[in-house]
Amino acid sequence: MKTFTASSALALLAGLGLASAALADGEFAGITIDAKLIGGQQYEALYARIAEWEAKTGAKVNIVSQKNHFELDKEFKADIASGSITWCVGSNHSSFASQYPALYTDLTPLLPAETVAGFVGANIAAATLDGKLVMLPRAQFDVSALYYQKSLYADPAKAEAFKAEYGYDLAVPETWDQVRDQAVFFSDPPNFYGTQYAGKEEGITGRFYELVVANGGVMFNDDFSPGFNSDAGKQSLQWFVDLYKAGAVPPGTTNYLWDDLGNGFASGTIALNLDWPGWSGFFNDPAASKATGNVGVAPAPKGSAGVRTGWSGFHGFSVTEACANKEAAASLVDFLTNEDSQKLESAAGPLPTRTAVWDYVIAQAASDPYKAEVLAAFQETAKTAFPVPKTPYWIEASNLIYPELQAAILGDKTVDEALQSASDAVDGLMRENGVY
Amino acid sequence: MYRMRLPPWLVLLMPAFVILLAVVTIPLVLSLYSSFTAFQLTRPETITRWIGTFNYEKAIGDANFWSAFGRTVLLLTVALNLEMLLGLGLALMVAKVTRGQRLLRTMMMFPMMFSPILVGFQFKFIFNDNVGLLNNALQSLGLTDVAIPWLVDGNLAFIAIVTAEVWTSTSVFAILILAGLFAIPQDPVEAARVDGCTPWQTFRYVTLPFLMPFIYIAMAIRSLDVARAYDIVQVMTAGGPARRTELLWTLIGRTGYVDARMGYANAMGYVAILLSIVFTVHFFRKLTTARTSLGMGD
Repeated sequence: MKTFTASSALALLAGLGLASAALADGEFAGITIDAKLIGGQQYEALYARIAEWEAKTGAKVNIVSQKNHFELDKEFKADIASGSITWCVGSNHSSFASQYPALYTDLTPLLPAETVAGFVGANIAAATLDGKLVMLPRAQFDVSALYYQKSLYADPAKAEAFKAEYGYDLAVPETWDQVRDQAVFFSDPPNFYGTQYAGKEEGITGRFYELVVANGGVMFNDDFSPGFNSDAGKQSLQWFVDLYKAGAVPPGTTNYLWDDLGNGFASGTIALNLDWPGWSGFFNDPAASKATGNVGVAPAPKGSAGVRTGWSGFHGFSVTEACANKEAAASLVDFLTNEDSQKLESAAGPLPTRTAVWDYVIAQAASDPYKAEVLAAFQETAKTAFPVPKTPYWIEASNLIYPELQAAILGDKTVDEALQSASDAVDGLMRENGVY
Repeated sequence: MYRMRLPPWLVLLMPAFVILLAVVTIPLVLSLYSSFTAFQLTRPETITRWIGTFNYEKAIGDANFWSAFGRTVLLLTVALNLEMLLGLGLALMVAKVTRGQRLLRTMMMFPMMFSPILVGFQFKFIFNDNVGLLNNALQSLGLTDVAIPWLVDGNLAFIAIVTAEVWTSTSVFAILILAGLFAIPQDPVEAARVDGCTPWQTFRYVTLPFLMPFIYIAMAIRSLDVARAYDIVQVMTAGGPARRTELLWTLIGRTGYVDARMGYANAMGYVAILLSIVFTVHFFRKLTTARTSLGMGD
């Protein structure tokens, strides 16, 4: 099995016809690197290249744990709690990185400057916490763009009715207010809905966060006190509430998470859907989606401050502070995120985090109009993408915020009450943890 | 030289003591200790920060905790009773089958074999208001023209969760009660029939009293198992929306493992343990009463 993957990796490399970064042969001979990596079909294709790095450097990689993201996060927390950091390389994610401030080491002294410069600037900025570059991003970058049903905009009867009711031309929405108008216009419950949104946990908090930023507000102030109980915050939450009240979203949307949203759009019952790039293939797959052949993708719409929503995250690899062989571990992390690795990963669909690979991927898709449209929309959105607030209490704050957002949407509380409760709860959390 | 001779019973029981100590006692003591500290998983040094009963006071004063507690008691009561009635019915029917009873008994156990996470995902799909099986069936049959929010409305979501839980675990009851049915001496039953009792009277006054010990054992076991139905609820609703389906386990699990506030989660856990103890004591008392009345006790 090992020789098979090694030879297939080498064959792929030969096929790409490019030399990998210079690796001195046998540089790390005799060293074993323990790694805890993320598992799952779309992440594991890259691991076939590990054998190639092993062959070049003489080191060995021992994958001690391969689990899905949430299980891995719990495992990291348990390791930190028990003080048993016996491993060197770990899978990381920009949304989770701030939770482990002491776990990972700064990669800047371990890597040449040109390596870091090859990545998209916004991604490196998101991977830097307190001046430390804690991870190198891999080609698993996520930001959301607007998928829509093309047929809705090619119907003259609809265009006329919309213009009469709303006073402007019906076109693919460029602002979130337009999305709201069009969603209400297109809805015909229970058979068809204008849009849908993530309704629980970090999903809804993230969507709320990006809308607050797009509307010119902040989630947290500079001292990490809650900043979302503002005009921008109320305007943002009102957007969710208005759509729910108008019946423009499925009533179960407050329980939806990513798989429900993906299946919803693929069932052909949703007009506009802000969603992640990984779904692009699924939405246009005749075996899986009723919306096949009718899917358009546009960059994420802008809020009232003229800013696009762009809540983004990416996976990457980090080296632990406790690692005994940091040079070797950094070399492995570099290898798994270099140009060839990213080209391999993004061939299957995920978005890259290196500028040169973006250009390569777009050039490759020139012959497929759907794929070209998808990439163009996501590249445009990626330019202004931003990560979650860099506080280790992001998830905990999210767990305090999202029930209040849900309460407002469902009508249990008013928007003002909900945001006040959420703000008080987050304020209490920050004080309890000594943030201020 | 004096050599201590341990009594033989101690030596033989030593492995069991060691295991119990390592796996049960020490973690229990540690979690009890940490419930009096500000322990956070991501900052292990906080285990030395003693804060006394702060966590317990916080839990007892937290409206969300008590509402989750009450909802958990309600879920336990409703689910257990439904499972018992349905399990009893199933067992009685299967006991009457002459041909293919073994096959039926095996098939009856299928729901037990599924991982709760899978059951959660399956029912989440079935109850999805837009693309789910149930709403689409109801709409196709013309029984409704709205999308019923099964997993969003507080009461409907409760029903959905109970359905998933009952579907998974009724077979446990059925198996245990079936075992009881096979153990019933047939003479009193035949005597009742000969004396002219209706089937209902036979069941009510002869069969059921014999079955009660088995039913109480099943209830005691299941009350602890249902208390671990974390996976199903977490997948279907995660305790929401807006805390409408929050149960003790989703609350404690999220606080301990996602928020990493282990000290507080442990405090909530210990308050909730009282719940388990109450249920177990109740069923055990009922069990001993039933056994004594049958002459089985000592």
